Amino acid sequence: MKIPKFVLSILLVACLVMAIGLPAYAAKVIKIGVIGPMKFMQGKGHWNGATMAAEEINAKGGLWVGKKKVKIELVKLDSNEFLSIIDATNAMELAITRHKVDFLVGGFRTEAVLAMQDIAMDYKKIFLGCGAAHPELCIRVAKDYKRYKYFFRGTPFNSRYLVKTCFIQMATVGGILKKVLGIPKVKVAIVAEKAVWVDPMIKAAKGFIPKMGMEVVGIWRPSAVATDVTAELSAIQRSGAHMIFTILSSSVGIPFARQVGELKIPAVQVGINVEAQKDGFWEATQGMGNYVMTLNTYARGVEVNELTPRFVNTYIKRFGETPTYTADTYANIIYGLAPVIEEAGTLDADKIVAILENREYAVPSGKNKYMKDAQGRHLHDLTWGPGYLTSLGVQWQDGKLVGVWPNRWKPAKGVPEITYKGIVPYKIAPWIIKEYKK
Amino acid sequence: MGILGVYLRKIYTLFRGEVLVLPSRIVVFLFFLVLLFLPVVTQDLYLLRILILTSIFAILAASWDLLSGYTGQMNFGHALFFGVGAYTAALLNLHAHIPPYGSIPLGGLAAVLAGLVIGIPCLRLRGTYLALTTLAFPIILMGIVFAIPGITGGELGVSGLSRLSSSRLYDYYITVVLMLGLCTIMWKITDSKTGIIFHAIREDELAVRTSGINVTRYKLLAFSLSGFFAGISGGLYAHFMRIAGPSTLEVSMSFTVVIWAVFGGIVTIYGPVGAVFILFPLLEFFRFWPEFRMLLFAVVILLILLYMPNGILPWVRDKIEKECPRCKVRNVATRKTCRVCVAPLD
Repeated sequence: MKIPKFVLSILLVACLVMAIGLPAYAAKVIKIGVIGPMKFMQGKGHWNGATMAAEEINAKGGLWVGKKKVKIELVKLDSNEFLSIIDATNAMELAITRHKVDFLVGGFRTEAVLAMQDIAMDYKKIFLGCGAAHPELCIRVAKDYKRYKYFFRGTPFNSRYLVKTCFIQMATVGGILKKVLGIPKVKVAIVAEKAVWVDPMIKAAKGFIPKMGMEVVGIWRPSAVATDVTAELSAIQRSGAHMIFTILSSSVGIPFARQVGELKIPAVQVGINVEAQKDGFWEATQGMGNYVMTLNTYARGVEVNELTPRFVNTYIKRFGETPTYTADTYANIIYGLAPVIEEAGTLDADKIVAILENREYAVPSGKNKYMKDAQGRHLHDLTWGPGYLTSLGVQWQDGKLVGVWPNRWKPAKGVPEITYKGIVPYKIAPWIIKEYKK
Repeated sequence: MGILGVYLRKIYTLFRGEVLVLPSRIVVFLFFLVLLFLPVVTQDLYLLRILILTSIFAILAASWDLLSGYTGQMNFGHALFFGVGAYTAALLNLHAHIPPYGSIPLGGLAAVLAGLVIGIPCLRLRGTYLALTTLAFPIILMGIVFAIPGITGGELGVSGLSRLSSSRLYDYYITVVLMLGLCTIMWKITDSKTGIIFHAIREDELAVRTSGINVTRYKLLAFSLSGFFAGISGGLYAHFMRIAGPSTLEVSMSFTVVIWAVFGGIVTIYGPVGAVFILFPLLEFFRFWPEFRMLLFAVVILLILLYMPNGILPWVRDKIEKECPRCKVRNVATRKTCRVCVAPLD
């Protein structure tokens, strides 16, 4: 019997569909989209952290989803969000509609994350934000829970607490100056790069520093990409400042720290200097960045809890540098998402949200617990404070970036002091001691 | 039935006589056809998203050409109109609860005002001075945006806006039909008496003035018209993205528009539109090689501008068509004599 051509073609097409379709079914994986500015250190952190998590899970054969063990597959997506919000949103759409990711981690620039958040929510995809600190992202969850419940802040804690932590660290160093050098009233110079995100921090600092018994002697705003800040430093020296409160996230952090060291400015540096968080800072400042202190999430040798050393050491071994906070994609996947998927036994976003928002779990930087607002509505924002997330104060001491805060920190009356394992005492530069200890 | 037949035959004759005679017109016709019927073939959400954004930016690029290409008013701050349109539509939608079909035209009108605001002080400026002055305006507006974060949302922008429509398919048809419509209007303007005066202002402003034409009025008209179309694209962008942020006013946005227009060929309207439809999806396509994405993009632009200094579309058009030396009518390059006056073409 001769098979008609029409039937033959249908059979051929059916075989082809099965050949393509069956392996795909057999190789069912959990797809996690890692979205971030991949050409920048923030995006590299996102990807490195997620890679570590996926490798660790897959080495154990994957995750139990119901009765099946399923492996993790990462999808790398360059959001290019520092340069283009449109690129960021297109990458998000690409991840969801083409790569068919089940979950998303990453994001950094708030304006871009807000736009990406909307897309993820349209498709009801769980999005763990690992970079943007603005409270608005989580306020949206409280205001419109039904729509935004799929968004969770993964890291860092929100910017209000970031400022609060800076002030606590400043007060701690101020106390040391008073005690060691006998300075009755510490004078503070605020040095903040010319950037919009800095403005509310300056406003808060101006209001809060006098309340801490210190005095603001002036505010200096160098360009974020300045290569010479000697004019500012001369003025700071003339103002008689004992402390420089830095709010620097860009490259200016290197020349600023280097020139403070070169000119032996008699003032300690406290606050945020993102460049000082990097391992290459010592070489970049040719050792002149000694004694610079900055807010950070991780430091070699500091243990916030039992999970910290394993994560930090493995990360350093694998990528040759200390992890930055965007590498917390690791914690969000391995301690946040993975156990919840196994508990839910499904990838159903609603079921996972219901479990995740009520969980309290340890991560290498502390403990994650999702907050509720004053009206008891879910915020999906991270809890700050002792026992949860506090971040660290780190200082460059003779070529090593060591943890110096929290060191016998007493958050409130009647609360036990907090000192993380591996924290060392804060050091004042010798030229400052020579200047004031007479 | 008889009347319908007559009309159909008339349309066909018109189509054969006006469209099928020139390859460029066939390409434009196919472009319309493909865009309008693409969702019949695929409704891939990612593809539709790219085409929606491409259509929005095509309006923006064409509006730049209308002002800077035709009238010669070199505007390096075109993001101002886009940003004003986006912010106005966003604020009206968020605070006055005006739906997109109202907020977008109002955004366009606000951009007209912005066009007049920058057009009046720029009347005496030309060339480099005008370009640098216009460059400053979006930067000034960005300063204002950051100065009043209570209204503008500061660095976060205005978010949580109404969607353009209830589905991606509707979004697609709204933006594509608007793009085709508005670009046709812009092209018709440039082909009208007003368009000829715009041309003349660019070529010799003094001669136009001595002919008794109110140059000031026409320059302001060009600023306003360009502002309106760019404002519409800003409003569409804000409602599609559901956010209007400071990125709409960034200097890079202004320069991207200039790149699109120059790449496609200025003083054409269709050139910038075509360029956006080539370059915007191309940048997305280059995601397959993320490390070299921007480099590849830059190389493509440089090569095109090196070998086709008047833009890619006029270059292609000159290859497939030629102009009659006597009556200036365009003909297919393969013809030996003009299709209208029968003059030899070589």
